[in-house]
Amino acid sequence: MSDPLLSVRNLHVTYATEAGPVPAVRGVSFAIERGGSLGLAGESGCGKSTLANALLRLLPAGAEVTGEVVLDGRNVLTLNPGGLRAVRWTAGAIVFQGALHALNPVQTVGDQIVEPMLVHQTAGSAKAAMAKAADLLGRVGLAAGLADSYPHQLSGGQRQRVLIAMALACDPLLLIADEPTTALDLMVQAQVLALLDELKRERNLTLMFITHDLSVLTYACRHLAVMYAGRIVEEGPGWEVFGAAAHPYTRGLAAAFPTIGDPASRLAPSGLGGDPPTPGKLPSGCPFQPRCPLAQEGCAAAEPELRPAGPERSAACILV
Amino acid sequence: MHPGVTPLVEVDDLHVHFGRSRAVDGASLRVYPGEVLALVGESGSGKTTLIRVIQGLQTPTAGTIRLEGSRRDRSSRRAIQTIFHDPAVQMVFQDPTGALNPRQTIYEIVAEGLRIARSGGDERHKVLDALSRAGLRPPERFLPLYPHEISGGQRQRVVIAGAMVLEPRLLLADEPVASLDASIRGEILALLRRLVAETGLAILAVTHDLGLAWNIADRVAVMYLGRIVETGPAEQLLGDPQHPYTKALLSVVPETREMEQQILVGEIPDSTRIPSGCRFHPRCPLLQSGTLPSAVAERCRGADPGILPPHAVRAAACWAVTST
Amino acid sequence: MTSLAMERRRATVARVWRQFRISRQGTIGLAILGVFILLAVAAPLLADVRELNPVFARGQGNPQWGSPGDFGPLGTDHIRRSVWTQFVWGSRVSLFVGLAATVLTILIGSVVGIVSGFVGGRLDGVLMRLTEWFLVIPFLPLAIVLASVLGRSVWNIIFVIGITSWPSTARLVRAQVLTVKQRLFVDRARSLGAGGGHIVLHHVLPNVSGLILANATLAVPISILTETTLSFLGLGDPSAASWGKTLEEAFVNGAIVRNAWWYFLPAGLGILAVVLAFTLIGRTLEEIANPRLSRRR
Repeated sequence: MSDPLLSVRNLHVTYATEAGPVPAVRGVSFAIERGGSLGLAGESGCGKSTLANALLRLLPAGAEVTGEVVLDGRNVLTLNPGGLRAVRWTAGAIVFQGALHALNPVQTVGDQIVEPMLVHQTAGSAKAAMAKAADLLGRVGLAAGLADSYPHQLSGGQRQRVLIAMALACDPLLLIADEPTTALDLMVQAQVLALLDELKRERNLTLMFITHDLSVLTYACRHLAVMYAGRIVEEGPGWEVFGAAAHPYTRGLAAAFPTIGDPASRLAPSGLGGDPPTPGKLPSGCPFQPRCPLAQEGCAAAEPELRPAGPERSAACILV
Repeated sequence: MHPGVTPLVEVDDLHVHFGRSRAVDGASLRVYPGEVLALVGESGSGKTTLIRVIQGLQTPTAGTIRLEGSRRDRSSRRAIQTIFHDPAVQMVFQDPTGALNPRQTIYEIVAEGLRIARSGGDERHKVLDALSRAGLRPPERFLPLYPHEISGGQRQRVVIAGAMVLEPRLLLADEPVASLDASIRGEILALLRRLVAETGLAILAVTHDLGLAWNIADRVAVMYLGRIVETGPAEQLLGDPQHPYTKALLSVVPETREMEQQILVGEIPDSTRIPSGCRFHPRCPLLQSGTLPSAVAERCRGADPGILPPHAVRAAACWAVTST
Repeated sequence: MTSLAMERRRATVARVWRQFRISRQGTIGLAILGVFILLAVAAPLLADVRELNPVFARGQGNPQWGSPGDFGPLGTDHIRRSVWTQFVWGSRVSLFVGLAATVLTILIGSVVGIVSGFVGGRLDGVLMRLTEWFLVIPFLPLAIVLASVLGRSVWNIIFVIGITSWPSTARLVRAQVLTVKQRLFVDRARSLGAGGGHIVLHHVLPNVSGLILANATLAVPISILTETTLSFLGLGDPSAASWGKTLEEAFVNGAIVRNAWWYFLPAGLGILAVVLAFTLIGRTLEEIANPRLSRRR
């Protein structure tokens, strides 16, 4: 695609631990066009949260990051601290999971939305910032009067909306949503997804949606990428990947979200055996091979690269 | 659906109030041997409080619970004071990591129930058998391990083994797979269905996940703000929901495509301020559409549809449904 | 307990010991404590107890206020008794009283804390008011009153310290019990039919014992210091030699004015060393139990 807003090339993230270096992200590449949306699906240990934080260099000091992350023409990984600050929140912002600890418990919600505006001086005066905060609260479906509340006074759904408002405070181009609906009820989840969709259209936002809930992604994003053991193992248009997966892992993952009304899954729960691999202790060859129902001779020998599996689709499996 | 069969559990007109908060505000249901009943609802619906009462972890404010015919009216003072426990009812918890004492070995964890019940017999044999039936093989390998040395899915299997070792007739499952990785959920759910087939166990599973209900439930009951608002066989309820709340829930489940999304406005009201009339009426899309005859709409706003009769095969607490 | 469980327990103890040996502060603390325990145990071999009797000392022809150069490793005091003998035999009393008083404190504090935290309700209220009552009363006046009422003996001192120190342990233990009570595995035990006794024994105690142990190792130096204080104030057992008593006699008889440093310095340094040893051991145990504490360094 021409001029993608976010272009990631061969990203590697390795943590330094007492037990030695642990690779959490092992060569991930993807791109999101301006105004587009990408969903990143994966379970615990696949590296998706590490990836999200790496995009804005939010990882702790011991993490080694190599590769290229080009956001709006600038390589985030090589920016100096001043340049990095300029990019954070104004070019790309993250919406975290709205659990109680994502917000400062001793600051009002309004102050927390105003904070990035003051830090980046995007609002002019403090008064203008507060007005904008009130406006943002309204935009995410909350009463402006809630600006004076503390996080513990709000419900889970309300806190999630506050986090969205915070992320939009400096009018970013890219919104990275890291598990934004995970702890929420079904109906609230639907509300938040609808809100993200509206905001995306309104502001021509580019959206990157990270979650373990594959079914949510098919609704929220045009393109889908599935991560396993630090790598992307399948990508393609959302519905196709979910409905007719090329990679056996994606198929196993999709089975956890049965379509209601589909007789094939009625009283027939299906899933994968074993457990998701721990980073740093990956099996040889294809990391999925110990759990794969279609594993063959060559699978333990070498790790397959992404290969084309249809128009705009690819999967990292030798059977493709 | 179950003519003449004595239900395992009979809950009648159960109320659980915490001060002014009415967590369970009149619920009646039946669970029959060999069936899986899914109790579906969002947070604040009272579903977790309800099964905690059945398990004996929570004393009710009013109402009766009958286990296999014997009557235990647990609103009386004496009943509250005695420790209610029936080994025929066991529980599987949402958070398998939290449910296991980090200082106990797997052997001790699974054997705990046997020791408390002082059941004789070969303890080690029973523990190995339970672990094996829960899918942990070879079971000997797991005996000396501590919870932090096994994976999340394995921990949940240990919880299940610990419950099954007492040969229960009813298993209460509180969001049994919600904390587990998505790809392994199917295995645990398949295990539960297998246990039902092998032992004639009944399962009452509390969940917010309608897909889970589709996967394993024979019957479904939907809860909203302390009341059961609809019950019925799973295919019927999930395929052709009658209560507007059930319809709205199904419409927003990403996996159901045929329905047009009905996203409700606002959130579930606080359980201290339950709306008058039908408790769902302030958010009811059917009422808001204006298509209901005014007599029905009046009742929605003013009259409580009441508690669903537990014997009914298919029922919905909705004036629009009962008025046709 | 099954043999499997015993094996795992042994492995845990071995692991803790290994981590302890690696820690520098732990080894130092243990070494210092070891020296003093050896001193206390070997007292009869190191110093003649008869030297504590002033009549005997006079009969021996000891000098008065003899400095270490004139007599023995630590000189003599105002009534010709060997200071070294007082130091060695005094270590016995100080250590014994410190440990025994701590045992009493921990016992009362833990029982109150566990019962109060676990049972809750009105009993909790009553016990907590009792605890607060003891906390609020100024320690020294209470100790003085008790000592004068009960009489001055080693056992009474142990009792006085125990009776006045248990409240803080009780509150700490109660707080931990409240946390453990909320844990899901306690719910699970209840759902398996466990009664209160089983839950306390198998779930509360194992998850509270670490805290109690850490609290105990830090309570010992406090007890020792308390004994020292009471003895210094003249409330100690007049027939028993203790470091506190040594300090009192040194002070009262003008050792400071006379510059007879050999009289009060050894006892003071002894107390310092033992308190330091227990503090180091206690901190090391805390770090082993909670590895996050050590990583901050």
